[in-house]
Amino acid sequence: MKPVQSSVDTLEQQLGKSWTQLKTARGRAEIKREELRSALRGIDSEDTSVVVFGSLGRDEFTDASDIDWTLLVDGGADPMHLELTREIDNKVKELASKTVGREGLFGTIAFSHELVHQIGGEDDTNRNTTRRILLLLESRVVGRNEAYDRVITQILKRYVLEDDGFVKGTGKFHVLRFLLNDFARNWWTMAVDFAYKKRRRFGQGAAIRNIKLRFSRKLIYVSGLLSCFGCHMALDELKPTGVCPGIGSAPECVECLHRRLQRTPIEILADAFLYLPHMNETAKKIFDAYDGFLGILSDKDSRDRLEGLGSEKYENDEVFKAARELSHEFREGLNDLFFDQQSLMCELTKNYGVF
Amino acid sequence: MRPIGFSTGALAFADFRRGLKMIDKRGIRYVELSALRQEELYPLFLGLEHLDLSNFSYVSIHAPSKINQNEEEAVVEMLQAISQRGWPIILHPDAVHDFSLWRRIGKLLCVENMDKRKSIGRTVKELNQVFDKLPNATFCFDIGHARQVDPTMNVAHFLLKEFGRKLIQVHLSEVNTRSKHDSLSLASILAFQEVAEMIPDNIPIILETTVSEDKMESEMGRALEALTAKPQLLAVV
Repeated sequence: MKPVQSSVDTLEQQLGKSWTQLKTARGRAEIKREELRSALRGIDSEDTSVVVFGSLGRDEFTDASDIDWTLLVDGGADPMHLELTREIDNKVKELASKTVGREGLFGTIAFSHELVHQIGGEDDTNRNTTRRILLLLESRVVGRNEAYDRVITQILKRYVLEDDGFVKGTGKFHVLRFLLNDFARNWWTMAVDFAYKKRRRFGQGAAIRNIKLRFSRKLIYVSGLLSCFGCHMALDELKPTGVCPGIGSAPECVECLHRRLQRTPIEILADAFLYLPHMNETAKKIFDAYDGFLGILSDKDSRDRLEGLGSEKYENDEVFKAARELSHEFREGLNDLFFDQQSLMCELTKNYGVF
Repeated sequence: MRPIGFSTGALAFADFRRGLKMIDKRGIRYVELSALRQEELYPLFLGLEHLDLSNFSYVSIHAPSKINQNEEEAVVEMLQAISQRGWPIILHPDAVHDFSLWRRIGKLLCVENMDKRKSIGRTVKELNQVFDKLPNATFCFDIGHARQVDPTMNVAHFLLKEFGRKLIQVHLSEVNTRSKHDSLSLASILAFQEVAEMIPDNIPIILETTVSEDKMESEMGRALEALTAKPQLLAVV
C-alpha cells in the first residue's frame, strides 16, 4: 500500500518548486491502473497477480506510454494460464496506446520459481534478472496482490538471509550487499544492452532509449542504492515502519524492505532529500531535470521525434540535445548526492558503489 | 514434551466417536472434536452427553466452517452451551455473518487464521479487523495456513508476534496447494521450525493431518520435530 502523503509533494512544497509533470504523470498512472483493475477484475486469483512495470509502475505515465504487464504465477502450473495472458493482452490493448516491448519480458507469464530460486548462476538469464529487479523496484499490482506479495517476500528473504554480513552484523556498515550487487548488476546490464539493442535494431529507437537510460533507468538504480543504504543510515524517511528492526531480525528486515520498495523510485529519492536538508539545491537540480524529462516524453511532438530518430542522426537533434542537457543536470545532482561528505553517503558509495 | 493431540475430523471426518476412540486408544490426552460441516454440529451436541471424555485433559470444538445465515443464531446458541464446559470453540472468521452473536462466547471463542483461499483472517492486518469485532476472543494459530499464505514464514512470525498473548491452541498440518490438510513434509517441518520458539511449550497442539491410524504416532513425532527450534536457524532469524 502506498503511503497517502507523497514525499515528492512534501519536498516540492519545502523547496517552493512546482513539478507539474511529475504530478500529472502520477495522476495519469493512478487513473490508468484503476482502468486496468476494473477491466481485469476476475482474471487473477490467490495464485496469480497481474503486475505492471515501466512508467505505469513508477507513476510516470504519459499519454504515449505503453503498458508493460506480466501475469505472475505463484502456484501450480495450469494450461489455462496461457488463455489468461491472451485475455489480459486483449483488455490491455484496449487501454494502451502501444504494444509491449520486443524482448519478450512483458506481456507474458512469469513463474515465481525462477524468480525466487535463480538468483545468480547460469540459469539467471538477463530476462530473469531484469524481471526480478524490476519486480522489486518499479512494479505495481493491479488487482489481487497475494501472489505478488508472496513472491516479493520470498525474494527479499533470500537477499536478507543469505547476506551473512547483513544478518549477523559483521560488516562495518549495515547494508544489504547481496541485494545491492544485484541492483548494480542490473543497471550495468541495462547500460550494456543499450549498445546491444542499438546494434541489433540498426539504430532504430536508439535516441529514446538513450534518454530513458539517462533518466528513468538510472533512477531505478538510484532508488535501489538508496534503499540498501537506508538500512545503515537509519533514514527514517526510507523506513516506512519508522523503527529499524536492527541486526538479526530477518522477518522484520524483510517486511521493512518490502514496504520501502513499494514506494516508487522518485518517492524513494525524495525521501532521501527530506532526510538531507543541507542538499536542497541538489534536490532542486535533480527534480527540475527529471520533471523536464517527463515534460519531453509527455509532449507528443518531442516524443515522436525522439522515437523516430536513428542512431546516425540523434546526436545533433535539438530535442535530443535538450534532453541530454537535462540529463547532465540530473547526473551532476546525483553525483553530489552520492558523494556528499556531510552525511554517510560518500562513505557508503565508495564502499558499496566502487570498492 | 509439548501437549499434542488430534482433530477427530482429520482422522475420521464426521465420525467423531471413531476419531475419539483412535485418539484415546493411544493414550493421547488432547483432542479437538470436529463439526466442520454444519450438519455435523447437532449430532455432536447431542452426542456429548454420552461421550466419556474423562481421559482427556484438553478438549476443544471446531465450529462449522460454513454456516447458513438463517441458522447462525441457533448454531451460536449450541456452541455457547458447549463452551459452558470450559472448552474453546475454534472458529473460522469467514464463517461469521453477524459478529455480535459470537461475542456471547467471550474468551472461549478462539479465532483461527485462514488459508490463502479466504479473503479475510489471513494476516495480522486482516485478523486485527476480526479481533476488533470480537475483542475478547482468543487465537488459534494454524501454522499450515500461515505457511501457505507466506512460505517464508514472515506472516507466521508476525501473527505470533501480534497475537501471541491471545494464543491458546495451535493447528498443525501441511496445507497443500489445493488447500487440503496433508501429512507433514520435510519442507513444512523446516519451515515450522523457524517460528517454533515463538509458541510456548504449554500450548495444546492439535494435528489436522489426515493420516491413517497406524501413522498417528509417527506423525506426532514429526510434529514435535517441527516444533523444535533449530539453533543454527535461530542464529540468523
